[in-house]
Amino acid sequence: MAMAHHSFAMFDQSKPTTLTGTVTAFEWTNPHAYIELDVADEKGAVKHWSIELGSPSILMQSGWKFKDLKRGDKVTARISPLRSGQPGGLLIQVTLPDGRVLGNGPGRGPQAPAQ
Amino acid sequence: MIARVVFLILIAGVAHGQSKTNPPDFTGTWGPYRAGRGADPKLVPPPASPVVLKPEYAKPYEARRAAETEANRRGEPLATGSSLCVPYGVPSMMSVAVYPVEFIQTPKQITVIAEAFSEVRRIYLDRPQAKIDEVPPGYYGRSVGRWEGDTLVVDTVGIKESVQYQRIPHSDQMRITERIRFVAPDVLHDQITIEDPVTLEKPFTYTLAYRRMPNYEMVEFVCDNNREYVDEQGVVRLKVREK
Repeated sequence: MAMAHHSFAMFDQSKPTTLTGTVTAFEWTNPHAYIELDVADEKGAVKHWSIELGSPSILMQSGWKFKDLKRGDKVTARISPLRSGQPGGLLIQVTLPDGRVLGNGPGRGPQAPAQ
Repeated sequence: MIARVVFLILIAGVAHGQSKTNPPDFTGTWGPYRAGRGADPKLVPPPASPVVLKPEYAKPYEARRAAETEANRRGEPLATGSSLCVPYGVPSMMSVAVYPVEFIQTPKQITVIAEAFSEVRRIYLDRPQAKIDEVPPGYYGRSVGRWEGDTLVVDTVGIKESVQYQRIPHSDQMRITERIRFVAPDVLHDQITIEDPVTLEKPFTYTLAYRRMPNYEMVEFVCDNNREYVDEQGVVRLKVREK
């Protein structure tokens, strides 16, 4: 079997990190979807994060819809951060404004469906 | 009387896991049939045969695999074609992660569309194969098929050397033979055998299993937001946005 788009080795899965912030864009695109997130620290300084998800096809197989997030939404995301230290990561799960928790495709996250 | 005979033949065919039509109709959308979670062990594909490369090809192949393992351990994965959204080609496109494939069958041609990267291949059923040296090397080569009973036997040549299955080196003499058949009413197997007199000591075979996805609508896949790039060391990096 060929692997999906790329290796996940660039993300550090041993250091899950929680980010709470405001969505600036939700890009329902290939080869991956992205959540762009502004995260403010205690002093109000804002740092921007790019969070990678699976592809739309993979996400739909685990309950995602393209309208599940929009600019301005407040969310809490758990990610595996980039090993490079840059402000980016791979989504583990995200809590949406309506309280639903979505993962990152079949077998990755809280809503992995039976196949 | 005739109706009854036909009925009995149909029942017998279904009991043997065959299609109700002759030849069988593979039209539809198919996802990977995986072991576990209630899967029938009899329908799960058999293990692949070993890949035995000639020594002059085995050495660089093993070295590359070792480098990949080491790079992944460091968290700096080496680039592959797909890092740059280059499609997989034949035979890799027949199974990419959990993405489905769609078969569209007519008497003269079967078209296979893979959801990942929207790849398309055509299998001609009404003409002979060309000479291997006359097919321009590409991602899909040239495929012709013929029916052997309920099995579609597909012959493919003309895959360019950079289009590799699991990075296994091959030459312009590679020949791919697929045997596609129903093993249950809604389960297909594609047994894939790769021969290459230049790089391989002997052919190797692996089998893919598919389950029918009756109501699935194929999702478009246009690679217009690829944020991975390859640095000077051949390592895949992710572009992050400032804002």
